[in-house]
Amino acid sequence: MGYGEKGRPFKKPKAASKFEDSRKGFAEDDEEDDAYDDDEGKTKDFSKLELKLDHTNRPLWACDNGRIFLETFSPLYKQAYDFLIAIAEPVCRPESMHEYNLTPHSLYAAVSVGLETETIISVLNKLSKTKLPKEMIKFIHDSTANYGKVKLVLKKNRYFVESPFPEVLKTLLRDDAIARARIISEGSYGDRFTISKAAGEIEGTHDELLNEAEVAAAAEEKETHAFEVDPAQVENVKQRCLPNALNYPMLEEYDFRNDTVNPDLDMELKPQAQPRPYQEKSLSKMFGNGRARSGIIVLPCGAGKSLVGVSAACRVKKSCLCLATNAVSVDQWAFQFKLWSTIREEQICRFTSDSKERFRGNAGVVVTTYNMVAFGGKRSEESEKIIEEIRNREWGLLLMDEVHVVPAHMFRKVISITKSHCKLGLTATLVREDERITDLNFLIGPKLYEANWLDLVKGGFIANVQCAEVWCPMTKEFFTEYLKKENSKKRQALYVMNPNKFRACEFLINYHERARGDKIIVFADNLFALTEYAMKLRKPMIYGATSHVERTKILHAFKTSKDVNTVFLSKVGDNSIDIPEANVIIQISSHAGSRRQEAQRLGRILRAKGKLQDRMAGGKEEYNAFFYSLVSTDTQEMYYSTKRQQFLIDQGYSFKVITSLPPSDEGSRLNYHHLEDQLALLGKVLNAGDDAVGLEQLEEDSDELALKSARRSQGSMSAMSGAKGMVYMEYSNGRKGQMIKSKPKDPAKRHHLFKRRYGPT
Amino acid sequence: MPEVRIIAKNFMDMVASMPAMKLDKLYENGFICEAILRSLPPLAKKYVLQLLHIDQPVLARLFAEWVLPDGLSKHKVAIDRLLQLRLFVEALDSRKNEKTYKVNPTYQRSLQQLLVHGGTLPRESMPSNITVRLPTLEDLETYALEQWECFLLQLISPSHADKTLNISSSLMKVFQRRLLSQRDREAPKLTESGFQFLLMDTNAQLWYIIREYISNSEERGVDAGDLISFMLELSFHAIGEAYNINTLTDFQRNIIKDLADLGLVKLQQGRKESWFIPTKLATNLSVSFTESSSRKEGFVVVETNFRVYAYSTSKLHCEILRLFSRVEYQLPNLIVGAITKETLYNAFDNGITADQIVSFLRQNAHPRVAQRIPAVPDNVTDQIRLWESDINRVEMTEAYYYDEFPSRDVFEGACDCAREWNGLLWEDSKKMHLVVKSEVHSYVRDFLRRQK
Repeated sequence: MGYGEKGRPFKKPKAASKFEDSRKGFAEDDEEDDAYDDDEGKTKDFSKLELKLDHTNRPLWACDNGRIFLETFSPLYKQAYDFLIAIAEPVCRPESMHEYNLTPHSLYAAVSVGLETETIISVLNKLSKTKLPKEMIKFIHDSTANYGKVKLVLKKNRYFVESPFPEVLKTLLRDDAIARARIISEGSYGDRFTISKAAGEIEGTHDELLNEAEVAAAAEEKETHAFEVDPAQVENVKQRCLPNALNYPMLEEYDFRNDTVNPDLDMELKPQAQPRPYQEKSLSKMFGNGRARSGIIVLPCGAGKSLVGVSAACRVKKSCLCLATNAVSVDQWAFQFKLWSTIREEQICRFTSDSKERFRGNAGVVVTTYNMVAFGGKRSEESEKIIEEIRNREWGLLLMDEVHVVPAHMFRKVISITKSHCKLGLTATLVREDERITDLNFLIGPKLYEANWLDLVKGGFIANVQCAEVWCPMTKEFFTEYLKKENSKKRQALYVMNPNKFRACEFLINYHERARGDKIIVFADNLFALTEYAMKLRKPMIYGATSHVERTKILHAFKTSKDVNTVFLSKVGDNSIDIPEANVIIQISSHAGSRRQEAQRLGRILRAKGKLQDRMAGGKEEYNAFFYSLVSTDTQEMYYSTKRQQFLIDQGYSFKVITSLPPSDEGSRLNYHHLEDQLALLGKVLNAGDDAVGLEQLEEDSDELALKSARRSQGSMSAMSGAKGMVYMEYSNGRKGQMIKSKPKDPAKRHHLFKRRYGPT
Repeated sequence: MPEVRIIAKNFMDMVASMPAMKLDKLYENGFICEAILRSLPPLAKKYVLQLLHIDQPVLARLFAEWVLPDGLSKHKVAIDRLLQLRLFVEALDSRKNEKTYKVNPTYQRSLQQLLVHGGTLPRESMPSNITVRLPTLEDLETYALEQWECFLLQLISPSHADKTLNISSSLMKVFQRRLLSQRDREAPKLTESGFQFLLMDTNAQLWYIIREYISNSEERGVDAGDLISFMLELSFHAIGEAYNINTLTDFQRNIIKDLADLGLVKLQQGRKESWFIPTKLATNLSVSFTESSSRKEGFVVVETNFRVYAYSTSKLHCEILRLFSRVEYQLPNLIVGAITKETLYNAFDNGITADQIVSFLRQNAHPRVAQRIPAVPDNVTDQIRLWESDINRVEMTEAYYYDEFPSRDVFEGACDCAREWNGLLWEDSKKMHLVVKSEVHSYVRDFLRRQK
């Protein structure tokens, strides 16, 4: 994807992390266009911009490098926010002042939801306190010149390339591959295009704001020109249109109402399923012109992504393929479908290594995992049949959950295997440490909507989380070992097993369990630590090798039992495991500086609890959820911790630093109070093998090995992507009842505690 | 670094510290007497007026009898102040052997005269047919503040000021003396007092500069008494009125140029005449500064993500923000910066404390966030303080390191020697390594020499 790196004078849609090397993000962008001096060390001086006389009434400043500042206390804030989120990437959105970046991608997204170049410029100008810089106007023109001009529409099972600009179509047809793909139907003569009237935006995206002439123009019916292409050649044509070729990226739209070939699926939203305002808004972006657009919707975890997904499926009313990241989340999606829609039991089925169901009738919903579809190795006969069915069917909607975690190559594979008219990606965090987010733009579609976390908190839609970073000083003995060169491989284990950290964790668990009656999740990426902590504190734990049945059992106990208030999770719990009961997270170790992981983990407790009015701003309970990140001071962890928090901080969250845990009067009641206990622990850490104390390597089963080799043959994408290890595995029933102690690959006996509580009787 | 605290006292403290001779000379001027009277605490004012027409000394005991028991402390303060300013002269009644007070005769005469005849300024304001284009009061205030800001900018970072002032560089150096520190050839840096100075409000800053101006006057061959009396006189001129420059003495004309640079007066020139217009800054001079300090509207918004948004067009504000944050964007009426660990460490290095930064951010909070509690997010203030305490975690002690001792005896002897002088920092008796404070280095060295 040459596009991502080339011709972009503007900053990447990335929140520049200001604590470390903030120049990094810029350096890559400067290659092409030196006119933009993006050296962050220097002050960018735009003080010469001309202020308008009535600037106090206008909410934003626009700089010629694409940066936009928005005052949230302006009376025009709501309108300006909706507009900006459509045309720009949010950089940070704290309480009083937001920052956005105009990028080619964000403008691509804007154009694709029906905004036109002139509209963008005139509205921006209207909102801006200063006269719009010429550079910005030029940039908007340049970026939108080609975008959104061409649509690929699937109508009555015929593919049409559609555009309001006949000259663009002519340009496309000059390309051999596209010319060959064209089908000249009987109705049209020679070079003529089919001309039709396209419906304007049904729901003007910014009607409140743009209620003036230019909006009227945007919403007016437009003549569109189209030519038909050969269905077999569609992928080819799309490829030719990408930025690295003809540079007219196609928007995909699905005219599902006029699709008579694919059978309808009889399902409606249940009356009690009331989408919230922001859910409505995101759906309206998707179905804005009566057709279904492909794209990505970004909502914080717990804000009801699944309802958006189910609602979309109910509107399209065609067969739907829903992809999730793991088996637990497959169950949850299936449950959500049944909860919110009138779909009948036999119309929905799950396809995982544990459950291979098939729906009856000619239309239905299939919920499965990315791995099941993308798997390239040998499958069981039964799976083969189902996958064959998935391949052959024309899906109305391809619903993709957690799109940010799946490697790009996996998407390619899934998208090429399945034929779908419309793709909807859902995610909470459009951040990837590898910056591969760009790929999603063209594989799925532009970002259609992104909600503001803080606004949802204020509205009481998601929990108001108190975030805290707990500083745990290393004990003298642990720090001495930490500094030794020969222990470089054990560093992580040393700072995670820091007795002070353990005691802080124990104290927090006790406090929240007893004093507040909370439900607690403790996250640890380090398996050794996870096991040690869980054993010592006598709490259940789930990690990669825990079987599906066992996971379900533990989670069930956590949800229902009064005695099980704390569960220890390894990184398998980061995504998708839906534990609505939990409202406290304690993080004792994490995956280096991953901003995404931090956000995902926070997401586990974002689902709002209690009464709505209590949660609203000024309500009874100011904070109803707690997120603690335990870090050992003076270690690498401090550095990572700052980096990890960046995304959340940019969303307006603040981390309070707590330095004195546990309180001194609690000291003697907690574990590792005595030096000899601490030293015993130290000995344990030092004696464990290097591989045992490292990060959790999710154990691979045969499916995964095959997948890995397939990946290798495709190239080094996954290695570069940083998405390694973010692959979610299924485990066959055969492993049930086996637990693994400190070493992930050595099956060991179950701890007596778990045996008693969860073991097979 | 010794801590230099700048206390914004008022003009009168300066007057009070003058020698008796000079004070008596000052009191020949009715305006100064009035100004002094105004500055007094209420009780002292009452005493002066009560004794104004009494020529005989009054027994101190009598005063004490006037005062109710709970007013005793106020009485003391009043008397102390009057004695300090030499408004009251203390004497001993020879017959009764008791303390008496009497109003300073010079002061008494001047004030009596002022009350009887009314005060006349040595000059009258010019008729408006000559001075056609006088600025409005509003313009004048803007002018004064702009001028002041320009001066401050010149003061703290000469390279950033866009217009140069007439103030001589030697005088500027005097002002900068305690605010900037220059280490060999590096660009001058603000001292801790310099930072505190920037955080003060305008009146307090003005007072600081005036005080420096006056206390340094003798070096420039200017009489401090003349200077004070001219400035106090100036403070009785009407704001916005024009006064002919010709009415000034040569000495005063020189001063008025400096004062124009500070924004105390505006100079204008007509076809034939030229005149000066006092601004609010000038008339504030005789008022007690601590009382008149008015809070300006704040302009800073600090977000939870450590970003700082300052609604300001002022370069000075930008410079102040640069002291502890990284200024990233300058927009026509907004400065965008970020507080980072690096910028704060830099600030701490320059002797700026976390408390000063936090209080600056709080005091200047934009009205939008000022009502919010806290005005500056907790996590930001906490973090600033934590970073500060992080630095203080390590204490630096200059020290000397010894190794390769010829024998254990010598090593132990050296240890004992260092211990004796209370300068042993660390020893490794196995490897025979030793670290001592640099103060005791010479003793240990001598000890080792003696061993050879």
